[in-house]
Amino acid sequence: MKEGQDWIYTDIVKDHFLNPRNFLMGDESKFKYDAVGLVGNPICGDQMKMFIKVNDDKIIDLRWKTYGCASAIASTSALSELAKGKSLDEALKISAKDIDDYLGNLPKHKFHCSVLGHEALADAIKNYREAKKKA
Amino acid sequence: MSRRLTYLDYAATVPLISEVREAMHEAEEKFFANASALHTPGHLAMNEIEECREILAGLIGASSEEIIFTSGASESNNTVIRTFEGHQIETSDLEHHSIIETAQVYRGDKLPKLYSYMLVNNEIGEILKLPKVSGEKFTDWDLFKKKTEWGKLVFTEQKKEYLHSDLTQALGKIPIDVKELGLDYATFSAHKIGGPIGVGALYVRKGVPLKPLIIGGNQEGKRRGGTYNTVGIIGFKTALKKVIEERSWKKFDTSVRGLRDLLAKRILEEIPGSSLNTDLRRGKSLPNILNVSFRAAEGESIQLYLDTEGIIVSTGSACAAGDIKPSHVLMAKTGDAEVAHSSIRFSFGLENTMEDVERVMEVLPDVIRRLQGISTL
Repeated sequence: MKEGQDWIYTDIVKDHFLNPRNFLMGDESKFKYDAVGLVGNPICGDQMKMFIKVNDDKIIDLRWKTYGCASAIASTSALSELAKGKSLDEALKISAKDIDDYLGNLPKHKFHCSVLGHEALADAIKNYREAKKKA
Repeated sequence: MSRRLTYLDYAATVPLISEVREAMHEAEEKFFANASALHTPGHLAMNEIEECREILAGLIGASSEEIIFTSGASESNNTVIRTFEGHQIETSDLEHHSIIETAQVYRGDKLPKLYSYMLVNNEIGEILKLPKVSGEKFTDWDLFKKKTEWGKLVFTEQKKEYLHSDLTQALGKIPIDVKELGLDYATFSAHKIGGPIGVGALYVRKGVPLKPLIIGGNQEGKRRGGTYNTVGIIGFKTALKKVIEERSWKKFDTSVRGLRDLLAKRILEEIPGSSLNTDLRRGKSLPNILNVSFRAAEGESIQLYLDTEGIIVSTGSACAAGDIKPSHVLMAKTGDAEVAHSSIRFSFGLENTMEDVERVMEVLPDVIRRLQGISTL
């Protein structure tokens, strides 16, 4: 915890946890996506799913779902903001460190287990490209 | 925060009782002297300590000389386990880490053997059956055979098996009689009954071996060195007096049980995907602990959403503890990591009211609905 801060995470993390952006509530079919990616597993306590809508090799919209702790929710929310509007190649370059920097740094022990969203995004992009190849 | 906290983490620590705070504040001025000193201020401080010893002994069915003051339950637990260094030590996966990890380091294969089992499980509140240990004599004794520099060894009884129990969570909530439980050692802590953090006690039955953990000084009959924490012990004494005056175990069994059971009922009725990890039946669990899992909602997230609403609970989820593994207790009980990650412990105290149950039920259903709604599961 940083000095003077009364919550376990930074204000940015708190904001993304309390007011997550771009999440998909309830039924997945409510969002018309082109590809989906998955990472993590509930046994470890964190799992993320990323749904992307692509046009002209660009992520024009995306949604996510997360089972996990506050930093998992906040980091997936932050990633969704970082990835929106980016080309697929640019989106693939988003790293865990980028997410951590955006959030003003998570506690170290959280970083490894809860910043996984970029892997779900990479999985979605891979699935999108594979499906496109087959089509 | 303008709203009053809805504090439901009494099993972790009980807020300092106001009488305790006052007594400690007064003691800081009045009983400042070193209690080991022979002068009058020292003697007066010692009187207070001895009174606390008598009160605790009376409450648990022991005699005063069988009580040693420590810095808390972890020290008490460490003292017992390390007394049996190199010996067989049997314990369970449900114990506090100060038992499990200490036993891992110090156990061996010699006899006599130590059994260490807590009476009440911290996380789900389950009341456990203590093992019956054999009273058989053991003559091939080598525990403390040689004279040590730690002071005289005060055991006279040589048994094949000894029994320790961590009674930290049980004290004040259910009646305790160390003799009836057949205990050789028992651990207590002040802050679980509204006393200060940093004070604990160890019951050491007369005649059983004890190897001091803190060496140096004549305090506690050479069983625990270090200047007496007079102010803390006075806080402990005041909290113990309150337990006895109010017969707090009766209140826990009636009004606190009522609140706990009502919350359980409402959660099951109003929150889909909820399941109880605590067996609510009388005699099966402490009346103030309720552990619940919520399908597809992770514990730390639940805890922190509640926290922002001023509702204070704990979780067995890995994330909250700064660990990578979920609660070892819930894993041992359920064998299901998902259930452990999704668990919340509500633990009540004597100050809780119906309003607290109402407040939880105002907030919790929405929190769970939201988390389940965005969950991948």
